[in-house]
Amino acid sequence: MVAGLTVLLVLVMAGSCLLGAVDFERGEILQSPIFWRLRLPRVVMSVLVGAVLSVCGAAYQSIFRNPLTDPYVLGVSSGASLGAAVAILLGLEAVLWGVGGMALAAALLTVLFIYRIASIGNRMHTTTLLLTGVCLTLLISAVISFLMVLNQEKMDAIIFWTMGSFGSSSWTDVAVLAPVAVVGIAVVLWYGRDLNLLLAGSEAAQSMGVEVEKVKRVLLLFTTLMVAFAVSSCGVIGFVGLIVPHAVRLVAGPDNRKVVPYSMLCGALFVLVCDTLARYVLRPSELPVGSLTSMVGAPLFIYLLYKNKKSY
Amino acid sequence: MITLKDIHVSFGDRTILGGIDATLAEGRITAVMGPNGCGKTTLLRCIGGLLVPTEGEVLVAGQPVSQYTARELAQRVAFVRQQAQTDFEFSAFETVLMGRNPYQRRLQNESQEDWKIVERCMRQTGTWELRFAKPAQMSGGELQRVMIARALAQETPVLLMDEPVSNLDIAHQLDIMRFLRTAGKTTVIVLHDLNLALHFCDDVMLLHEGRLLYHGPIADGLTPERISTVYGVATHRAEGQVIFDF
Repeated sequence: MVAGLTVLLVLVMAGSCLLGAVDFERGEILQSPIFWRLRLPRVVMSVLVGAVLSVCGAAYQSIFRNPLTDPYVLGVSSGASLGAAVAILLGLEAVLWGVGGMALAAALLTVLFIYRIASIGNRMHTTTLLLTGVCLTLLISAVISFLMVLNQEKMDAIIFWTMGSFGSSSWTDVAVLAPVAVVGIAVVLWYGRDLNLLLAGSEAAQSMGVEVEKVKRVLLLFTTLMVAFAVSSCGVIGFVGLIVPHAVRLVAGPDNRKVVPYSMLCGALFVLVCDTLARYVLRPSELPVGSLTSMVGAPLFIYLLYKNKKSY
Repeated sequence: MITLKDIHVSFGDRTILGGIDATLAEGRITAVMGPNGCGKTTLLRCIGGLLVPTEGEVLVAGQPVSQYTARELAQRVAFVRQQAQTDFEFSAFETVLMGRNPYQRRLQNESQEDWKIVERCMRQTGTWELRFAKPAQMSGGELQRVMIARALAQETPVLLMDEPVSNLDIAHQLDIMRFLRTAGKTTVIVLHDLNLALHFCDDVMLLHEGRLLYHGPIADGLTPERISTVYGVATHRAEGQVIFDF
């Protein structure tokens, strides 16, 4: 199944490169800077971000033993959004990684603050972690709204950023995100069996040989870094990290040794298809990819739930 | 062999265990008994390395539990908890297979040997017929037997069981207790049923207000006086049974 999904992903990537605002004659595309500088990095970024969000969603749902957890639950997205909003208000959009850099710094600071609140000695209190994340997300959203009301001329730019887009993706973004994504996903895959055991509860997992606190810390560190880098490069793309792992579980079962790699490939495929649609359907205009992921993903997921219900 | 050296556990101002000293001999079944809140589960968690005592230490096979890695300890001590927890839909077979974790390397799939051990443990607990069942399709008692099978799959010399038969019907209670008698493991089991304990356990640790009131052979330990002190109920012994004076 992994091989089949990989082949499908490569084919869809190739197809996605052919589609866009500009049509090419046969053989012309490989000579075009549009292909090399715009479409290919954009396609690679959508694959990376889709993979990262889905893998992190799968990991978080197991770590927190909560099926409603998504990669943004710890406040990464709200922190990044605040950083991006401040950067936009300061006019840093033209500076290389001005908005992305601010978003990344703010995302990491937010999560660092939340971890600090939720740490009791060497232990991480996961309920406190979740609740602090939710509270801080609400607080930061209020601050962003306040900033937008005070700076209405920049409101559109901030809203578009928070809805997520690969419109400005470049090879620099790929070079920044790819190493974090590769290492982070490898770490989550490495701990696949531990994630299964964590679903039985922390004490049960420990009594079956899992170094629970260490595993949680390592996984939270790498997943947070992945999400922070992803969000700061393309904005907030919702729904993917919540739904893709569940859709995979409905088909492949709950074993994280399957859920994680399948989510990686399905998430990459899903975001790639959504982004291709986002830039092709209303060409030369673009839809925000974040809204498309919800519009395409929600009906698909409801169908899978319905089909699964009938099989009982 | 399990050695408890002056175990104290406090949460804030509240003392749960106030100095427990005991040596649990190899291969014997020890019942841990006492009223709710007397520290039975806390004691088991200390032995299982899930809770670090405020003072004192627990030794398993001569080594402090704090010096084992989680994996090493899981090869020596298995724990059946009071409440079975499963959030995602693993089948009973997959759940029991998790018990093989301490013997598996990362990224390594379970071996044929693991599968055979899981089948054996599920047959011993009468859960083999449930192997494809998901948690939502099992009763509380069935789920509890699956958890016992998972602990057995760890193949440890020490078994800690926190009210493992409380959800089971009488027939399955007897099946599990009979199995424990033949398993040859050092078993520490929290029980509330005095007669079940009397019939199947070798020793008893009677806890009263966080202290060890008695530790020794169960037949000598469950006297009407001690039962009255611990539980505040009147009993008498007749034909080897504890009879309540209603």
